[in-house]
Amino acid sequence: MNMNFYKRVLGTVVIPLVFLLVLLFICQINGRVMIANQVSFTNFVIYAAIIMITTIALSINLNSGRFDFSLGSIAVLSSVISSKISYALLGQSAASAFIMFILSMVIGGLLGFISGRLYNFLRIPPIITSLGVTLIYEGITYTITSGKYLMAEVQTASMSAFISNWVNIAVIVLVVLAVIIYIFNLSKFGAEYRALKNGQKVAVNTGIKEVPNAIWCYVICGILMGIVGFLNAGRNMTINGGALNFGSISIMFTAFLPMFIGGFIGRYSNEYIGYLLAGICMSLLNSTFAVFANEITASMQSIINALLLVVFLIYLNNEGKIVNLFTFRWLRRN
Amino acid sequence: MKAKYANFAKKATALVLVGAVLTGSVFARPKKAKNVKIGVLVSDVSGEEALGFRAYYEKYIASAYNVTFKYTEQLTNAEEEKSAIEKFAAQGCKAIISLSSSDRVTQLQTCSDYKLYYAIASGMLEDDQYEQYKNNPYFVGQIGPSMETEFQAGLEMGRYFAAKGVKSVSIYGAFIPNPMHVYRTAGVLIGLGATYGGTNDKNAVVGQLFGDSRVNVAKISSPKVAIKSYFQGFGETTTDELNAAIQAKPDAFLSVGMATTFFTSQLNAAGIEFSDIDSFTSGNGKAMKDGKLVYLAGKYSSSIGPIFAAVINAVNGNSIRDKGNAISLSQNYLVAKNYADFDKFYTSDSGSSPIFDKSKLDSVIGSNVSYEAFKSLVENN
Repeated sequence: MNMNFYKRVLGTVVIPLVFLLVLLFICQINGRVMIANQVSFTNFVIYAAIIMITTIALSINLNSGRFDFSLGSIAVLSSVISSKISYALLGQSAASAFIMFILSMVIGGLLGFISGRLYNFLRIPPIITSLGVTLIYEGITYTITSGKYLMAEVQTASMSAFISNWVNIAVIVLVVLAVIIYIFNLSKFGAEYRALKNGQKVAVNTGIKEVPNAIWCYVICGILMGIVGFLNAGRNMTINGGALNFGSISIMFTAFLPMFIGGFIGRYSNEYIGYLLAGICMSLLNSTFAVFANEITASMQSIINALLLVVFLIYLNNEGKIVNLFTFRWLRRN
Repeated sequence: MKAKYANFAKKATALVLVGAVLTGSVFARPKKAKNVKIGVLVSDVSGEEALGFRAYYEKYIASAYNVTFKYTEQLTNAEEEKSAIEKFAAQGCKAIISLSSSDRVTQLQTCSDYKLYYAIASGMLEDDQYEQYKNNPYFVGQIGPSMETEFQAGLEMGRYFAAKGVKSVSIYGAFIPNPMHVYRTAGVLIGLGATYGGTNDKNAVVGQLFGDSRVNVAKISSPKVAIKSYFQGFGETTTDELNAAIQAKPDAFLSVGMATTFFTSQLNAAGIEFSDIDSFTSGNGKAMKDGKLVYLAGKYSSSIGPIFAAVINAVNGNSIRDKGNAISLSQNYLVAKNYADFDKFYTSDSGSSPIFDKSKLDSVIGSNVSYEAFKSLVENN
């Protein structure tokens, strides 16, 4: 095993390891337990999955210069429609959660397709299109739910059984990871995606069709957010149908820090494995916040998350100088 | 010639008669009352209580009276409230009814600036704020649980569980700085026999809760009932916090608001008795009948009827004043401790026959309605 391998392993695990050790230490010195029982562990796995999948969905379009605010609204609307359909058809049946899961992906994909076609049709900056799509999807959600929280459709024995088993969630995570790595790292589609991302004009001149690639990206993002919508519904046991005026975009912002962490880890291993590890980091942080919730209010948690993002961005933009400083390279040069 | 003039006379007479009939019918037709637009500020758009209020106004009141209610989306801060009032003014609203409490004083001042009547439904200003603004001619009044009523609601809830002999509880709520939740929480703690920061004086406890900007569990001393956990809000950590509260295996879970919206299934599944201050809805009925909801303090959906009556009177130039001051009347909570009680409250305030129905409201809408008559209506129902 050469030094390059060890460097790659270190680069991959250093951030999650630092998160784990620091947070465990903070809990230990305060006499708290970060993950106290089976239910806490399941919640940890679910939140890590939500963050990982949202981050992948955000990165797919963002890395191609397409800022998509509509992710949250797709998650909510797909889960609303799928829960309504599955509850209407199956009620409290044991299969209703699985059917809701499948439907959520299908509907999410369809919503993503509509979003992608709109972007292509209107030929205006995608950030503008996504703002409009967000408002439309939020409005549809509000109309379907009359602004209410959906409870009966989600609070079924089937959903409780599905979501309370961390193995189900882990399987979802692994399958999503495997499929996404295959699509974007190993398939022709992924090669075209990377070519378009790194040099659109050249890629188009070589014959790569940009429009179908972009639209398929939107479809894949929609499917991923359908999964997120399902997981959120199971985690909260309600779906808030009353979010209007960009109330749904907050979920997108939870993915920014993980995206940068994942990008950093991606230099040493694989970007998508990086997003998984970043999701684990954020879930560790979330579990720690929960333990200290009486001391660290929701607004303080937001500030801490923002500070972590800023600090990490400062590091990324000055990585060379910081590495030189800590390895005393500047001293050896002098 | 004679026949020609006779013919002309006949036609002229006929025309005059037709004209007279038409003119008479125009003057005889009653003047169509102008539709009154009323803006409604809301901070909760999804909870069962909020939806009940909205259904009462939009489905019952709007169809019974010539009014149109224009609702805001969820308002989360004072700036949004102000902006909403300005938009309503531009849309021709004559009055604002507020169910949002980020900054009621600014709401009132903004309404005054735009010459809109302002009223508070299901809530109240702080006492000193009311004293300061009660003379404002655009301040119609406030009808809802006073802070003392909110405190009493929490107190009775705490006392109920203490008398039941519970040895441990988890508490949820107190979305500080929402004053009604703070007063409720103070009442719950004192009702359980606890002290906060060494005192069980209402004002001292409330002051500390505001000052701490949270409920500091370390400051709670409760010799008879252990406070296993406390959490507030509904954010990313709530699932874990609820899990921690359930894992602590309390005898009861006391909520000062919204637990029945968010946590019913989890608490039912854990077999933990719980309480809430909410409203009488079908969902809560199911939780009380088949689940573990054992105590519910609630309001009727039509409890916001009288404040509408006061507003429409003001718009029509028939303001009801209490010795020249804005109306200020307290409404108590009703408490259901079993399904029979719940059902009684629930069925007596149904959508098509609410407690404050048109006949009751008509008795206090119009000219020459005295404050005493209005007060009697509110307090006797």
